[in-house]
Amino acid sequence: MFFSFRDLSFAAGSQAPFVLSAALKAGEILVVRGPSGVGKSTLLRILARLQPASGGTAYLEEQPWQDIPSPIWRASVHYVAQKPALFDGSVADNFAKPFSLRTLSGTSPDPARTGALMETLKLPPTLWEQDARTLSGGEASRVAFIRGLLIEPKVLLLDEPTAALDETSRTAFYGVLGDWLKGAGRAALLVSHTDDYLDLPGLKFLDLAESRRRPLP
Amino acid sequence: MQTSTLPISYAQLTFSVLLVLITGGIASLLRLGLLKSLVWGTVRTFVQLTLVGYVLTYLFKLNSFWPVLLVTLLMSFVAARTAVKRTPNVRNYPTLLAFVSLLASTYLVGSIVTGLIIAPTPWYSPRIVIPIFGMLLGNSMNGIAISLDRLYADARARAAEIEALLTFGATPWEAIQSSVREALRAGLTPTINSLMVVGIVSLPGMMTGQILGGADPLQAVRYQIVVMLMIAAAVAIGCLLLVGFSFKKLFTSDGALQPFVGQSRQ
Repeated sequence: MFFSFRDLSFAAGSQAPFVLSAALKAGEILVVRGPSGVGKSTLLRILARLQPASGGTAYLEEQPWQDIPSPIWRASVHYVAQKPALFDGSVADNFAKPFSLRTLSGTSPDPARTGALMETLKLPPTLWEQDARTLSGGEASRVAFIRGLLIEPKVLLLDEPTAALDETSRTAFYGVLGDWLKGAGRAALLVSHTDDYLDLPGLKFLDLAESRRRPLP
Repeated sequence: MQTSTLPISYAQLTFSVLLVLITGGIASLLRLGLLKSLVWGTVRTFVQLTLVGYVLTYLFKLNSFWPVLLVTLLMSFVAARTAVKRTPNVRNYPTLLAFVSLLASTYLVGSIVTGLIIAPTPWYSPRIVIPIFGMLLGNSMNGIAISLDRLYADARARAAEIEALLTFGATPWEAIQSSVREALRAGLTPTINSLMVVGIVSLPGMMTGQILGGADPLQAVRYQIVVMLMIAAAVAIGCLLLVGFSFKKLFTSDGALQPFVGQSRQ
């Protein structure tokens, strides 16, 4: 399996803890469903190693997560928050910043690809030099998505990526995500409240409310 | 001390009670509710300083190494305790780390000043060493308290940004760098500002004391210059050490942000 987790347990709220397992082949996308507050974001944050699980293991290309240093894991299994934090500076600075980190040193983003992504996602070229703090919610979430794609992660953890987008931008977003998944060695997890991802290839589903009702053996 | 010192007798000292009466008059007239604290504070001032006077007299008479070492250690410890308690954004910070930071910075700077610049005989002369350490610790204590507090406050304010950096594979150090810089800047700013205005806005206490004590103003000024620069050095080292010890505490062993830093998010 390309990306998987086994018996991943964590508590969310005051209810009984989850015990979750799932496995993705390259090119597949796992849609995490369930009512608000059930723990969908928590699951993504745990898989990004931003907070600990109380048990269980995630595997990237069959390698258990404890064998991979957390910075390398996080750059490979990249989490995009629902309300992404942009860095100080312009949009261009935001695209460049990750490449100043040691984990990604020696690589740099392809400006032609960045420009193409911006265009496909309906972001005007003038945005490039704009102060990132002045972006609208929809612009910020697309910039954060591009920023994440540029570092070439293996797995994308997308938390409500389209919540701030209008109809056209949503379609464009899923177009880019679908194309990205066709590349070699890629998979994604998606939390979404709407059903507009249904055209994506390789869809799988994990319903958190269901799995709580019938805990896996 | 110098022969030109004008001594204050105990009888003259009692006149200073007049000053307390003035303060007390204002406090009771305007019902500031400070009268009790004022009386208690006055008593403490008299008692504490008189005791310190005796202790210093005793130490100066002894003029030996071990008591000086012991007293400076004790002073560092009290300063560390106080610094750690003065940080509203930080709970339960270990005194030991503040103690080690203060100890390293004041002993390093203190030995440069006493050993190299003032060079008394003996080199541990309590008349020099104890006041120097007092000034170093008083300022470093404030500096490290401000730095530590700012580090935590800034990390909390930037928690989302720090986590975003982590998701790109930043190490804790890379993710927290801007908060560390901010913390050091905050700790050092008061000291550097005081370098700007000294002699114009403020006549520092040490220099004033020496001049009142009958010393040549030009000599007092030289001492003051050394004191200002040594304070700046000690504050810089102290803040750097403490912030260096502290930033890792904001992260888990897996290099994620501690829940207490980022809790505001959800």
